[in-house]
Amino acid sequence: MLQNKFLFNQSSVSLEIIGLPDYSNDENKENISIISQWKLMIIDKPVIEGNLDHLKKIMTAFYNYSSALLNDEISLYESDLIDIKPENSYSHILLLKSSKPEVKPLKFRIGNSILADIVNCFDQLSSSNRVKIIYSKNFKSLKNKKYLYSFDTKNISNFLLPPLFSLCSIFIVSSAFIYVYERNNNKDISSLLNIKNELVSIKSIIKLL
Amino acid sequence: MRNSFTNNNIKLEEFDALIKLTTEMAKSLYPYIRQILYSRDDLIRNPNAWNEFKNRYIELISERFNTNSMKVKRLLDPSTNDEFFIKIIFSLALCISEDGYLKLRTTLLNY
Repeated sequence: MLQNKFLFNQSSVSLEIIGLPDYSNDENKENISIISQWKLMIIDKPVIEGNLDHLKKIMTAFYNYSSALLNDEISLYESDLIDIKPENSYSHILLLKSSKPEVKPLKFRIGNSILADIVNCFDQLSSSNRVKIIYSKNFKSLKNKKYLYSFDTKNISNFLLPPLFSLCSIFIVSSAFIYVYERNNNKDISSLLNIKNELVSIKSIIKLL
Repeated sequence: MRNSFTNNNIKLEEFDALIKLTTEMAKSLYPYIRQILYSRDDLIRNPNAWNEFKNRYIELISERFNTNSMKVKRLLDPSTNDEFFIKIIFSLALCISEDGYLKLRTTLLNY
């Protein structure tokens, strides 16, 4: 049976997909729905190849790693098949672990240019109408927004406690002044009554005289 | 950060339109973007593209941004701005696919 082959190129990287159409669904004979083999060829680097599960894992690794780099998250990616970690801001170390026990892990270094080429090759594969979708991208949004953290209970208490405390203190101090004012007022009234009583007593004395 | 006396807030439609414009430009300019990235990867043997990009970018920031601001001063500081410039170029290099607009939009909103 003749297999179909597609090649996705991006500068220094080529991704070759080999497979068959799904004849049971009456698909176009030129499409690929069943991927039997794939090869990722990078100039000056060893060829990476494997089956469909390996391709899914490698695509997940590269997508997660690149989005972590862009979002300033901890960009170390580890899995049973591939590890990617940053060496510095412009180079990354790839560790490929074979599923066969006798094959030693393969370690090599790639720059940002090759990393971008690889991700763009996978993007071409994802958006191709002729190959069945392998990896569905999800764009994480608003995860790192700083304003979301301002709604923490700790932040709310920090925000609300000072004005509440100041209001309480104002209330206590002002109520104390009201008490002092009332006492003074009472004193004034009692002194006026005393004076009035004295005047009345003087008047009565004068009348008696 | 801009060297302007008016503080115009960008609308969401304008923000989306600018991102679409940027992604379309990045698609056609990918060979140059990749050349700059490659130059930074191999700076000892091939420093021209990176140095030219960096010098022009610093020139534009000095012309159009408020250089009295601490953020802008940090961008102009040659000892610390490399990482920021690499991130800008790398973000552009990753947004040339069909859904590159969504990728760049998400990156900017998460920033």
